[in-house]
This record gives sequence, structure tokens and C-alpha cells, in this order.
Amino acid sequence: MAGVNGKPAAVDADDDPGVVVDGVGKTYDGDGDPVRALEDVSFSVEAGEFVCLVGPSGCGKTTLFRVIAGLADATNGEVRLDGTRVTGPTTDMGVVFQEYHLFPWLTVEENVGFGLERSDRSADERAKRVDEMLELVGLTEFRGTYPKSLSGGMKQRVAIARALAVDPHLLLMDEPFGAVDAQTREMLQRELLDVWASTGKTVLFVTHDVAEAVTLADRIVVMAAEPGRVREVVDVDVDRPRERGDPAFGEHVARVRELIGARP
Amino acid sequence: MATDTSGRFDERDGSGLRVGLDLDDPKRLLRGVAGIVGFLGLWYLVSLTQPAYVLPSPAAVGTRFLEELGSGTMTAALASSVRHWLPGTVVGTGLGVGAGVAFSWSGFLDDLTAPLVRTLRPVPPLALIGFAIAWFGINDAGAAFIIAVGAFWINFYAAYGAVEGVSEDLLDVGWTLGVSGDLDMVRSVVLPAALPGITTGIRTGLGRCWMLVVAAEIFGVPGVGREILRASNNLLVDKVIAYILVLSLMYLLVDVAFRAVQRRVLIWQA
Repeated sequence: MAGVNGKPAAVDADDDPGVVVDGVGKTYDGDGDPVRALEDVSFSVEAGEFVCLVGPSGCGKTTLFRVIAGLADATNGEVRLDGTRVTGPTTDMGVVFQEYHLFPWLTVEENVGFGLERSDRSADERAKRVDEMLELVGLTEFRGTYPKSLSGGMKQRVAIARALAVDPHLLLMDEPFGAVDAQTREMLQRELLDVWASTGKTVLFVTHDVAEAVTLADRIVVMAAEPGRVREVVDVDVDRPRERGDPAFGEHVARVRELIGARP
Repeated sequence: MATDTSGRFDERDGSGLRVGLDLDDPKRLLRGVAGIVGFLGLWYLVSLTQPAYVLPSPAAVGTRFLEELGSGTMTAALASSVRHWLPGTVVGTGLGVGAGVAFSWSGFLDDLTAPLVRTLRPVPPLALIGFAIAWFGINDAGAAFIIAVGAFWINFYAAYGAVEGVSEDLLDVGWTLGVSGDLDMVRSVVLPAALPGITTGIRTGLGRCWMLVVAAEIFGVPGVGREILRASNNLLVDKVIAYILVLSLMYLLVDVAFRAVQRRVLIWQA
């Protein structure tokens, strides 16, 4: 029941900043024939870049997310973060899941401080960092609240603050706004862009919502299914803040939708 | 008269079960008192038709209770039983929770112990009296051993199941936030996540152990259980019931106290 390789991996080299997904394949040994979930997936995310990963259901987005996060092993290929091969979960990646997965027995501030307790920061530094993170996501007044009493949007803000607290190189998010209503989703998207702008983090964001990807990303990695592979990488050359009414926005959405819908 | 059932299912404890005393709901309390009064009335009526060695009247039991209490026999028996119940429960609960968590978390320990556990599980604590006498003697430790065995299995299974039920997703979050190994994970994620299930097991065990007091004292160690068995042999049914009441009261006391602790500890669930 331990992590993929038991211990979190250390990632400290800094010669090749950003994320490189290099020839990643993943095959599951099913009851009958082995299932190829991913085949030769390669792309990179530059340091400070915001990249979205979209694709039809069953294209292995979540499998790829787990491989990148170090929560699952790749059958072939490897993922490198800042030049170092990812062999297990690492605090150099802040991971945000769709269903928040807050620790229900911890208050908002205790959730945010969870990773910090395992860092070498002093108690004062940890407290200061928690304050900063709560401020960043606007939840200072809810610091003593347990997750049960929070709305979905607030829970996801806590999850983002928790992931960012340990100051990771990469923020890795798996359909983080998939479980909230449309209005909250747009608000969270704006907030995420603000956080990205103010922290300069590298972000890799998995979503099935094409408009969301076009709203957020510098580049969109479009995947195809059976087996999961990269179909094309689309640059989003639209100035921020992006408006859905903008023709350029619509063109990008149409382009990505076409890529997702197109037969191989 | 209108029947108001609102608020009937909203009063829940940590286990999700609606059991025990509800002192904060006056309507429910009143109905509970009415139930007890009704039961005593019925008991009284039936006792009028029966000899005392079959069913004594509630009054006779009350009188006997006060006599036993006044003479000091009851308090001595209770003190003795507490000396079996307390260490037996504490040791059995501790070992049961510990083993349940460890065997459930560690696949290796689980593989190692699963056949053994399945073999030993059906053995009733009472069947171990021979071992209690051989290993500890006819004394407090022997009686505590019987109780500990009962507490062990209840807590073992509760903790085992609770740990098994801990969401893999929370473990994933833990690993990504730098949890440094199995010990850290168990302490920081598994135990707190499993705590509702574990405390429900402890609470069940606390009650079961008062029942086991009778079994534990069957081989001659003094205590409330011993008094019940001796009174039964002498057809002193009023005394049997008086001492059963002692066990019930102790159970209630411990259960109410533990539930308060449980609510405090699991405040995040409220």
C-alpha cells in the first residue's frame, strides 16, 4: 500500500527546467488481452508555462496524470521534472485532484500546513506560509473551519493552497474544477490565472472541457484515444484575459474540438 | 393526537447508529421513561402470578439491591469486577486496535496472519478459561484475560475494516505532500481517517466487556459475575436481577462517557 516506489523521490537538478514527458507508454494486464492505455506520449512544459491536456474520455488523461505525479509507473518511457526522472511522488509537484481530497479531520489551515510540517521550515516560517496561502486563495476567515462545512469551490481553493504551500516547481491538476457549478468554475479559473501570474508556477492542467483549456492555457496538448496518445499540440495565441465572445477564442475552441472528434 | 416524528432520525452518534441515551432531546427522553415505567408495570403484574424464584417483583429486586449495597457486598463485588474489566478492556482494546491497524495496513503482515486469524476468531472467550487458569491462575489476571480476548477481536475487526476503508485518494494526497514512509502515513493519514470506525469498535467493545464479566468470573474469581452465578445456583432471582442491574448501570455509565469523548474527538464529522 506504499507509494509507487515506497519513498517520495527527490528532484533537485535544475539544468532542464520544466516537465518533459518522454515516450511514456502504459499497458494494463487485463483479464484477457493487455490494455494499452498510453502509447509513446511525448510533450514538454516549459518552466512558467500553463499547459492544458485535453482529450476524449478514455484517452488516458487520468492515467497520464498519475504517471506524471509519480503515483503510477509507466510501462515505457519516463517523466522528467527539471531534468530529473520522476520515480515516485515528490513535493516538487503540487498535485490537485478533481474531488479535492481534503483531510476531513483537519481544519482549513491544518490542511494547508500538512505538507509544510514535513519540510525543514521553522514553525514561524510555516505559520507565515500558511497565512500567505490562505490570503492567496481568499480563505483567511475560514482558517479554523473543517472541510465538511465548505462549498465545493472553497474546498478546491483549500486544495490549491495546500498544493502550493510547499512551493512546488509544478502545479499538476486533474480536472480540478470538474465537480463545481459553472459559475464557480469560471471564478476559480480566473483565480487560478491570478495565482499563476503572481507565483510564476509551471502549471499542467488536465481537463475534458475544451473552453476551459482555451481560457487557461498557453498551449493545449490534445490527446486521442485507443491507445491514448498525443494527437497535436495547439498554441493558444489569444491575449489574456480571454473572452468567450472573441472570434479568436471561438476558432481555437473549434480547432481543438475538431482534433478531439476527428477519427485517427 | 398528531404524531410528530420529526427529528426522529437526525440524532446520530459517530457510528451513525441511533443508540444510547439522548439527554438533549426531551421528547425522546420522556418516551424512554414511559417505556421503562411500562416495562416495570408489566413485570410487576406478571410477578404477582409467579413465585419469587421464577420472577420476583420489581420492589423485591429494589429491596435486595439496597441490601446488597448497604452491606458492602455489592461495592466489593463491583470493585473486584472493575479490576477485571478495566485491565482486560484496556489491554484487549490496545492490542486489538494495534493489530487491526498493522495487519490491515501491511500486506505482508496480513498474508502472514490471515489463516491464523480465521482459525482463532471463532474461539469463544469462554472456551479459553482453561488457558486463563493455566497461564494466570484463578485470580484477577485470569478473569482480565478472558475479557481482553473479547475486547481484542471486536477491536481487531473494527480497526482492520476501518483501515481497509481509508480512501486511496487520501493516501495519494499524503504521498504527494511529502509523507515520508509507512509510519508517517499511518500516523498522519490512516489513523485519523480510520478513527470513526476504530472508536465505534472501542465503544462496542466497552459494552461487550461488561457482558463478559460474567463469563470471566465463572471459574470462581469474585465479582459481580460471580455473585450472579452463585445467586442463580441458589435460585435467588432477585439477587440475580439486582446484580444484572449493576452491570447495566456500569455499561450505561461507560457508554455515555465514551460517547461524549467520541463526539469530541470526531468533532470534524459533526
